[in-house]
Amino acid sequence: MDFLAEGLRRAVHLISSADPEVYGIALLTVKVAVVATVIACALGMPLGFVLASRRFWGRRAALTVVNTALAFPTVVVGLLLYALLSRRGPLGGLGWLYTWQAIVIGDVILAFPIAAALSAAAVQGVDPRIRRTAETLGAGTWRTAWAVAREARFALAAVITAAFGQVVAEVGAAMIVGGNIRGATRTLTTAVALYTAQGDFGLALALGLILLVMALVVNVALQVLQGRGNA
Amino acid sequence: MLELAGVRHAYEGRVVLDLERFAVPPGALIAIVGHNGSGKSTLLRLLALVERPSTGEIRWGDAVVSSPRVRPRAAALRRNTLVEQRPVLFRGTVRANLGFGLKIRGRRGAEAEKTVAAVAERLGITGLLDRRRHELSDGEVQRVAVARALAVAPDVLLLDEPVSSADRAAAQALYGALADERRARGLAICLASHQLEDAYRWADDIRALAEGRLSPVTPENLFRVELPPGQEEETKHVRVGPIAIAVTTGREGPAILAVPPTDIFVSKEPLVSSARNVFTGQVTRLGRPRPGVVHVAADVGVELIAVITEEAARDLALAPGSPVTFAFKASAVRVF
Repeated sequence: MDFLAEGLRRAVHLISSADPEVYGIALLTVKVAVVATVIACALGMPLGFVLASRRFWGRRAALTVVNTALAFPTVVVGLLLYALLSRRGPLGGLGWLYTWQAIVIGDVILAFPIAAALSAAAVQGVDPRIRRTAETLGAGTWRTAWAVAREARFALAAVITAAFGQVVAEVGAAMIVGGNIRGATRTLTTAVALYTAQGDFGLALALGLILLVMALVVNVALQVLQGRGNA
Repeated sequence: MLELAGVRHAYEGRVVLDLERFAVPPGALIAIVGHNGSGKSTLLRLLALVERPSTGEIRWGDAVVSSPRVRPRAAALRRNTLVEQRPVLFRGTVRANLGFGLKIRGRRGAEAEKTVAAVAERLGITGLLDRRRHELSDGEVQRVAVARALAVAPDVLLLDEPVSSADRAAAQALYGALADERRARGLAICLASHQLEDAYRWADDIRALAEGRLSPVTPENLFRVELPPGQEEETKHVRVGPIAIAVTTGREGPAILAVPPTDIFVSKEPLVSSARNVFTGQVTRLGRPRPGVVHVAADVGVELIAVITEEAARDLALAPGSPVTFAFKASAVRVF
């Protein structure tokens, strides 16, 4: 119990004293998570819309692929990305291995299926009369999609939250392609893993608490938005 | 003119609509009548271009605007507007809903406000403009949906059971507003209804659908039957509910029987005649769709409707509840 209490005391001290290392790691994590979430949702949500609202050859197969990709192991993604970005790999010339951009790519690969599959489910849940009504009032593809998205706004907000949650909590790929380099690619999750292994339980706990607070803030923000839009 | 040509529409292999031709001329007021599942809503969705036919095509004039290979363009979609039987409103106020189609057409600000206010007044929903969908009754939602469709001034307005949630007064008001709108700018209206009286009262052109096909006769007295085997032209007795109707046909299997109301002889008691179908029962109601014409509905085991003159109705002293005999020849019964 002393060990836990001591760790917690040190964690509170590190957070309250605005420890530069702790906040540096937290800021990098936010940067990586926001960029990856935006890219994954910008690519995945339109795909989800198409999969849910258009009938085309191969649609079912595409849905199966997207749903299967939900269970993609993060370390496997990291491994494949490592092979691509390493000096001898086809994308080695970019020089992105062990950079925060490499972590973003890994996170996008992991969050993209979440954005696509969950937004497809969200759009499928919207009353089909909404789409027909928008169309019959003269709306084109984009306006109709916007009308449907407005109806599915809660579910789509949950999609963004889920994608952000996946990205912010991801450790395997970030560790492999980021390298966990202090001040450069060390994110909250990779740092927690490292400091726990090194026995610096207080620092690991401080970072873990920040991670929890970030998840809490995102979820509370979502609930507030849902409350305001409830009409 | 909006027109369906050679359309066969199927859901998962089951044909629900089979129409050689269905035209909506400019300014027409057409009522499509038929039982539930007869294909009315499917027909309206095809005419509204929100569904594409499995085979055949939909034309505006000479241009094909929808077919299995032609996806309707926004310009064509903007000419027809559909109000579904159970319409939905978008999130937001009634005012925002009425402005939805206008915004799409680039009409915003004072001009759009003016249009919204005018159409709301015509439909009697001015007091609802700032309400949201969960604050409205089903009947109010229906009126708002009609107003939203009229706001965009379509060439063809398609209405699926537009008064199904309205009381009598609200239905009269809605039909009155539609008639005014049609007089003012000559839009064509095509409405689906299962209420024949409404159809006769408000429409110029009544078309009956049965099993996805247009009935060759008027929409009353349509029955789905199973014809007994036998491909020779002969008189068959076909069970319709508790009665058996004699019909001369060479067909067998599933079919629709139609008894033209003008071919039914109405009398107080059975007469000796050549008619193979003689049924007695009670008058259930009398309708007067046009001056001088009386629709006599009678329960003779099933409900049959006969059309007679006002003078004949007076001579027979018909009233709801009075005994009546309907007679018609086997050869008068249409099979399709």
